[in-house]
Amino acid sequence: MSNHAKPLSIRDALYEQPGPRTRRRVAIGTAITAVLVIVGIGLIIRQFYITGQLAPRYWTFLAQPTTWRFLLQGFRGTISVALAAGVIALVLGAVLMLGRTSGIKPVAAVCRVVTDFFRGVPSLLLIYFFFLVVPQYGIRLSSFWMITLPVALAASGVLAEVLRAGVNAVPRGQVEAALSLGMRPGRIMMKIVLPQAIRFVIPSLISQLVVVVKDTTLAYVVSYPDLMQNARVLITNYDALVSMYFTVAVVYILVNFAINKLSALVAERLGVKIIR
Amino acid sequence: MGLSELLSTYGQDYLTALLTTWWMTTVTFAFVMVLSIAITVMRVSPLRPLRVVGDFYVQVFRNIPGVALLIIIVYALPNLRLVLDYTTCVIVTVILMGSAFGSENFMSGINTIGVGQIEAARSLGMTFGQIIWKIVIPQALRSAVLPMTNLLIAVMLSTSLGSQVPMSPDELTGIVSYINTRSTGGILAFLIAAIGYAGTAAVIAFIGNRLDKKVRILR
Repeated sequence: MSNHAKPLSIRDALYEQPGPRTRRRVAIGTAITAVLVIVGIGLIIRQFYITGQLAPRYWTFLAQPTTWRFLLQGFRGTISVALAAGVIALVLGAVLMLGRTSGIKPVAAVCRVVTDFFRGVPSLLLIYFFFLVVPQYGIRLSSFWMITLPVALAASGVLAEVLRAGVNAVPRGQVEAALSLGMRPGRIMMKIVLPQAIRFVIPSLISQLVVVVKDTTLAYVVSYPDLMQNARVLITNYDALVSMYFTVAVVYILVNFAINKLSALVAERLGVKIIR
Repeated sequence: MGLSELLSTYGQDYLTALLTTWWMTTVTFAFVMVLSIAITVMRVSPLRPLRVVGDFYVQVFRNIPGVALLIIIVYALPNLRLVLDYTTCVIVTVILMGSAFGSENFMSGINTIGVGQIEAARSLGMTFGQIIWKIVIPQALRSAVLPMTNLLIAVMLSTSLGSQVPMSPDELTGIVSYINTRSTGGILAFLIAAIGYAGTAAVIAFIGNRLDKKVRILR
């Protein structure tokens, strides 16, 4: 064992304990790159300034409570679509996974095709399907379902695969032991495999929520009032395009960042890996 | 509209759209790979400012919704006097997002190597360059094959953002929207495009799996 503290990550393990000359070089390199980064940030801010985007009229509306109330309303729309789509995708994903692992050949084949189809098709195409094609058959959907259903379908394919990875992670010997005890396959799945599989995939399910939240931003295609759509309304009201889009983008980044952090935290607590 | 009518009227458009999706995917993915490597080098460099910028880049672009980024690039950048044509805007959007995920794939590839191997190599007297070229990069590349296959599929699916801006020629999602606003294409008009996507994804996944089986390191 070395006498210094064990390196925390492979990032640090790559380098030896620096000697005096290396330490000086690293210090100089750090200083130079720090200056470059600061200059880069400065140039971006300068570009904002000389194009007049830092003018107060573009930013003061962010201090008004009405702005945030309206955005919060949109955010509520985002949350309700994301949660509804998440629940539907989870149920559908579980059905697809159970079908694929059922051992009944035709059922497994159909579930496999459906899973691969939804995984291999962009959510925008599915949204256009519900927005443009479904009404041609005389089916009237509200804008909520026109965004929720395609997002849910797109996510269900991925969730089916995540759940299947969880099922595969349960040691095969347990299933064999249960079979030799005379348990039936369905009961083994429900009582032995699934409870463990779900524990394995909880962090991955949480991080898949990021994909769902991202997809909900396409709600403006069907004019559903989510955060993005309400931001677009505000832009026409205040004529402040750059500042508004930057603000909304930051909100989305923070929300998704929080979801990813939560997923990593849960993964650490449960002692499982995140499957992507 | 029946299949034959649909294909005789729009067959050429579909073909052009599929080829457009393919070339956009190829160009984008090439840039994604180059940028991912650059970002990953920054993130493992001993220089702290580069690490911070690399980590920040990844957190921003893996968490931003594609359409929000596209809108910023299309509508906000001209206000900052940076004007790109629509197709370039879409490609840049997907490159920025894809490279964040690509760098994450490389980082987790590096992380699977294990500190012990590096220490062993050092105690054998290997130099830093040797460790990087003979130990880190070969293993990181091998274990990144499957995640990169999935990333290539994700990049292809993300080029569907092109339907949100006026592009010419349209890509595969844009063409469905175009056809359905001109005539009632019905479920078939949608299915043709969907099969184009899902079929390409299946081929990519097949090749990726074969490649992964060949180079995978069993631990």
